[in-house]
Amino acid sequence: MIRIYDVVRRIPRRQRTRCWTWVLSGTIGLSGCSMSKPPTDTLAKAELGVSAARDARADELSPVDLKIAREKLEKAKQAMAAKRYDDARRLAESSQVDAELAEAKSEAEIVRRAADDVQRRADALPTEAERESRKPLTAVPNQE
Amino acid sequence: MRFNAIALAPPHTRMPLLLLAALAIGCGTVRHPALENARDLYQKARQDPVVVRHAATALDRAGQALEEADRLWAREKDVTEVEHLAYIVAKRVEIARVTAQRRLAADEIRQIRSARP
Repeated sequence: MIRIYDVVRRIPRRQRTRCWTWVLSGTIGLSGCSMSKPPTDTLAKAELGVSAARDARADELSPVDLKIAREKLEKAKQAMAAKRYDDARRLAESSQVDAELAEAKSEAEIVRRAADDVQRRADALPTEAERESRKPLTAVPNQE
Repeated sequence: MRFNAIALAPPHTRMPLLLLAALAIGCGTVRHPALENARDLYQKARQDPVVVRHAATALDRAGQALEEADRLWAREKDVTEVEHLAYIVAKRVEIARVTAQRRLAADEIRQIRSARP
């Protein structure tokens, strides 16, 4: 049985040092890379985000953002199935934030419309001052 | 110091050490355009009194995402991940702006109602 040490010993000393330096540099250089786990939670959050946006009427009030969120969620699921976990996590995180934006836009639009509505009705009602100024006009014919 | 160490190293180890040194130097200086764009968007929102007043929490979340992107860029220079985080920052800033608009409209409703009961 050949032992690693026997193989290493056969390499000239100079070349051996070079080999070790390469191995060490390579290890330091690649230490940034790491194995990733399936992003199950992130995917679930994205799914919840898209549902919340749909519940906030984003289909009608912020369709573009919701469409982007849905497409990314689909791609995240495909990446997950293909075991491309880093891609899946990024797509799911991205989808979640798009869904949150769709939801926020829809809610803002709903409140905006409500504010406009309240303003319109307030404008239609006569103010206190207007009611006061009309009194003599209606009272004058009765007095005559 | 780094260059001295390389000059002192045995000739046959210089090449890998030089490559590693180049990697280390490259890591310190480069700015990522998407990250800088995200920072710009965030700082503009920070200077907008409406956003700061009405959507402080949402703006903080954008700030946290920006810090994470900065940390990652300084530490790992992972372009894909930093571009992804820059996108998250941009969207979080937009969420803060929209949230501020919603609260502004809600305030309007309250004001109209209190003015004309």
